[in-house]
Amino acid sequence: MNSALGIINFASNHTKVTGLQDYRSVGAISFLGRYRVIDFPISNFSNSGMENIHVYTRWKPRSLAEHLGTGRQYNINSKRGRLHLLFAEDELDSLYSNDISAYMDNIEVIENSCHDYVIVASSCMIFKQDFKELLDQHIESGADITLLYHSTDNAKEQFLTCQTLELNRQKGVLSITPNRGTAKNRQIFAGTYVMRRDLFIDMIKKAHNTSAMYSLMDWVNLMCNEMDIRGVAHRGYFGSITDFKSYYDTSMSLIDLKTARSLFDPDWPIYTRTSDSCPTQYLEGADVKASVISNGCRIEGTIDHSILSRGCIIKKGAVVKNCVILPDVVIGEDTVLENVVVDKHVRINHIKEVKGTPEHPGYVKRGDHL
Amino acid sequence: MKHNEMLAMILAGGRGSRLHELTNKVAKPAVGYGGKYRIIDFPISNCANSGIDVVGVLTQYESVILNSYVAAGGRWGLDAKDSGVFVLPPREKADANLDVYRGTADAISQNIDFIDGFGPEYLLVLSGDHIYKMDYDKMLSYHKEHNADATIAVIEVPMKEASRFGIMNTDEDGRIIEFEEKPPQPKSNLASMGIYIFNWKLLRKMLVADMKNTESNHDFGKDIIPALLADERKLMAYKFKGYWKDVGTIDSLWEANMDLIEAPSPLDLSDPTWKIYTEDTNSLPQYIGEDAKISHAYINQGCVIEGEVRNSVLFTGSRIAPEAKIIDSVLMPNVIVEEGAVVTRALIADGVRIGAGAVVGSPDSEHIELISKRVKGDE
Repeated sequence: MNSALGIINFASNHTKVTGLQDYRSVGAISFLGRYRVIDFPISNFSNSGMENIHVYTRWKPRSLAEHLGTGRQYNINSKRGRLHLLFAEDELDSLYSNDISAYMDNIEVIENSCHDYVIVASSCMIFKQDFKELLDQHIESGADITLLYHSTDNAKEQFLTCQTLELNRQKGVLSITPNRGTAKNRQIFAGTYVMRRDLFIDMIKKAHNTSAMYSLMDWVNLMCNEMDIRGVAHRGYFGSITDFKSYYDTSMSLIDLKTARSLFDPDWPIYTRTSDSCPTQYLEGADVKASVISNGCRIEGTIDHSILSRGCIIKKGAVVKNCVILPDVVIGEDTVLENVVVDKHVRINHIKEVKGTPEHPGYVKRGDHL
Repeated sequence: MKHNEMLAMILAGGRGSRLHELTNKVAKPAVGYGGKYRIIDFPISNCANSGIDVVGVLTQYESVILNSYVAAGGRWGLDAKDSGVFVLPPREKADANLDVYRGTADAISQNIDFIDGFGPEYLLVLSGDHIYKMDYDKMLSYHKEHNADATIAVIEVPMKEASRFGIMNTDEDGRIIEFEEKPPQPKSNLASMGIYIFNWKLLRKMLVADMKNTESNHDFGKDIIPALLADERKLMAYKFKGYWKDVGTIDSLWEANMDLIEAPSPLDLSDPTWKIYTEDTNSLPQYIGEDAKISHAYINQGCVIEGEVRNSVLFTGSRIAPEAKIIDSVLMPNVIVEEGAVVTRALIADGVRIGAGAVVGSPDSEHIELISKRVKGDE
């Protein structure tokens, strides 16, 4: 059986989820109440039978390290498999801090792996993908590198901080370029690469020796003419978390149960760390509609078109509309929130109204007391 | 963590026949409670939170689900070195025939070798049938302070109900002078909670003698406690204050679930310092539909609610279709209630489907209706 080492890359330097990212890496951002963004790529690997997974992180690693723990929650064989957290040694915010330098810092670990192939996945994308299938497709095609993409007809409005693949008719990749929002139909790059491990190591070393500022994507883009690089289309739900707006929009899109069902498949579980919270208590006066509610909450107010993470308290008369509320937030009596992302451990008691717009959602900083 | 000074043994062999169909396939300790838990999560979580590392679970009746559930000790964090949850059904031994557990004391007697293997100073014996949060370490401190040979946890019950319980009569220092099982004229209202701490060496001696006694019922309440009292051993009553409920019948199981809806609830399961641990399911969060109405309810992850839920407890993965109504009811995991169905004062067993437009239970029934089979709707 062909096997691959799973590598989960950190967010590129183009990615900036304003606010949320100040406290944790994108992979560690709370998502849809009970998940973290990184649960999706890790579950994809685990469900594909790939149980050796390297997760790369560079700054603010606490939240991610805490969430991953031993990795047991991801249903990985505890002897044969391993979830490995690897750190980039570069300084914060350095221009030279990119994925290639992180791989170079840890090249021994990659060289010592016994897998023939590697699959590199992004920690900022929400989708379901059988990587085993993708690996088989890659091997069968004989290509040097396979890149996963998602076709959209909404690239003028969505995925504006993503990269796109330019493909020829044979699905050969001509280039990887930023989505400039100039056309509706685009192939959004899912940040997923499949290749032989020896090629991967060779490319990292070459890229590193050529320019310390190259990222893996830059190098693959340069190689488009020299190598056989092909695109494979992803089907199903696809969401990106590459800036604050896309975090908000991707979250909100999954409030719709039908949309959620296109991502969550009972045969393809998304694993996450349990917090052992009790069920949620709905008190007299609670009015909850069209929302996603996690465990451990106590609700006495109104919630409409919103996502409530674990352990939140919504007091009497409070109104939460079109909001994403992260864990352990307290919304005081008669407070009105609209189009806002509220970070962890926030308490809102004295300010009675916080509003953003659907185009420019607001953000309340982690741990703030308003 | 330090060496196991006290080892816990949980008696989980009972069938719980008054729970009817709920215990057809699982033993009573594996029955669901509180939206996501099983009854046995309470004593095991209490053990884990009290710093007890080794827990033996004595199973007998319909033990497959209970065994596999309990064997995964990681759920309660009891998977470090020198710790674990051990499932102990009756075993065939070299020097004895395979025998069922003949009584609560016999269940311990048959596992003397297991307990000796850990060499504990004290043995905590628990029942797997009750819902409560208790720090057994505090009880052990009390036991040591009083230099007791055995300590029994007691709870004050209303005097008029005392004749339903095993009653401990104590002197003013809390020393037990008499034990009466369901006395017609109770002298005190201190009911035994079925939680005992014994000095292991002494109990071991008593159990060995009890095994040979052909007259004995091999029961803690009927034989061991009276024998200790007759022997003038020092038995102390440890008064527990707090929520404690035997969920032996459908009505009492329903009632105990309903207690969780109250605000503040008499049993707070949200306390981060004393969590009750249970299996985690890979469920989505709760999805609440556009026209849902929910008030006064206790709901777990994985539920999809498009209808109305009032004064009810919903376990993992229940689905309530539009126009359906759930009132004063408890829905075990993965119950499906189709459009327009109305469920009132009922307890619905795992995975049961209530068809569209069906009416189940009634608002003025004396007892809670148990629904354990599919109810057809108007098809």
